[in-house]
Amino acid sequence: MQEAIPYKSYMAATAGGRSRLHNFLEGAGNGGEHRLVANGCENSVTKLVVENAVIVFGRRGCCMCHVVNRLLLGLGVNPVVCEVNEEKEEAVLHELSVINGGGVQFPAVFVGGKLFGGLDRVMSTHITGELVPILKEAGALWL
Amino acid sequence: MNSPTPQFVPSRLSIYEPIHQIGIWGENFKRNGNPNTSTSLIVEVDNKLENESETTSHEMLAPTNNYEQEASKPIDKIQRRLAQNREAARKSRLRKKAYVQQLENSRLKLIQLEQELQRVTQQGLYMGGVSEGSHIGFSGTVTSGIAAFEMEYGRWVDVQHRQICELRTALNAHISDIELRILVKSGMGHYFELFRMKSTVAKADVFYVISGVWKTSAERFFSWIGGFRPSELLKLDPLTEQQILEVCNLKQSCQQAEDALSQGMEKLQETVSSTVAGGPVAEDSYIPQVATAMEKLEALVSFVNQADHLRQETLQQMSRILTTRQAARGLLALGEYFHRLRALSTLWATRPPEPSLP
Repeated sequence: MQEAIPYKSYMAATAGGRSRLHNFLEGAGNGGEHRLVANGCENSVTKLVVENAVIVFGRRGCCMCHVVNRLLLGLGVNPVVCEVNEEKEEAVLHELSVINGGGVQFPAVFVGGKLFGGLDRVMSTHITGELVPILKEAGALWL
Repeated sequence: MNSPTPQFVPSRLSIYEPIHQIGIWGENFKRNGNPNTSTSLIVEVDNKLENESETTSHEMLAPTNNYEQEASKPIDKIQRRLAQNREAARKSRLRKKAYVQQLENSRLKLIQLEQELQRVTQQGLYMGGVSEGSHIGFSGTVTSGIAAFEMEYGRWVDVQHRQICELRTALNAHISDIELRILVKSGMGHYFELFRMKSTVAKADVFYVISGVWKTSAERFFSWIGGFRPSELLKLDPLTEQQILEVCNLKQSCQQAEDALSQGMEKLQETVSSTVAGGPVAEDSYIPQVATAMEKLEALVSFVNQADHLRQETLQQMSRILTTRQAARGLLALGEYFHRLRALSTLWATRPPEPSLP
């Protein structure tokens, strides 16, 4: 899928001379993941969380993040992936913690605007069969 | 010993003792309950009796002399002789029993030592062939962490074997579900214990865990991220229709999770590989590349933990789907499977050498 993310126009409005979110859209090679690089702009992260049914935050090049993405893709989910640069890591984590009301670690999966958990939780809920219904309810999956 | 009868050569095991020494023998037997000390027991008795045997041997070997010399009390002599004979025979039987017991124990010990030797030799061979200085030059904490793990793992395997036998007996004896549940719980807990042990040693040396050098060769053949594939757990029957559906779902979920982790591992390999290969080759300095690669390798610890986490979750989900009896059978099958793999490894290690080619 090569179409623009709906909130692109929203981003242009909030750019405000500070930092800007760059959208990198990957093609069929990655099965349609939407890959973003976050620069820690004040509300951008919150917007991402709210606007997307499923979004994965992780460090750039993190292999655990890759595992989460592969798993979600395998289920038929189109996860939005936000790769965080090292410099912006702290800022992004901070903002995510504010959203969550508690500590957040990478990789972090947000479902339906709330923190779902890390790879641990994704794995265990997947094995027990709880993951798919949760994803469906959040609108990330439909049959 | 000052015996003037040269044809009688007392050996350790054929000394005849007078009756009043029985008490001491019995005492020795009680004190040294462990048959392994029966040699020392015989030695003790030896020392006590050296002074006495001369007189008795005389009496045993030359009854006719005694009979002629002291004809006035023939009955007493005969009685005493018969009693001594009985005692001697009894002593002899007891000694033989102790000796046989000691032999049996030594035999068992020998088998155990041989197995231990096999295991260590295999590991030594494998490690010697892996890379230069695989364990040389490691820091003290790493080697001690590994040594501690190896000891614990040895014990783990022993306990595992015991649990398997208990399960088998329990299933054949048709014990109650409640009691079976206890066995199932401790069986699962035992696996979780292994995962905890692995997590600890992975922090010390993750390559040690992933290489599988701590396992036998046949187990290593099937190794996936430092252990067995979670999907290995899912070979079971008979199942009800509902269970078949649930197991099918679990199988699929398991496979998906395994695939995701495998792909993650591949990505890690690519990343590390390109990092190590990166930078100008013309220059002789590669420290930055290697240092960066080292950082990336830390992710390997997470992979080991995640793989074990997956094994644990799969085990737990299986126990939810199955009845207690099915779960017990499943655990028995799993444990027996690994036990056979270990036996296969031992057999393989002791196979006759191939004839050298002409």
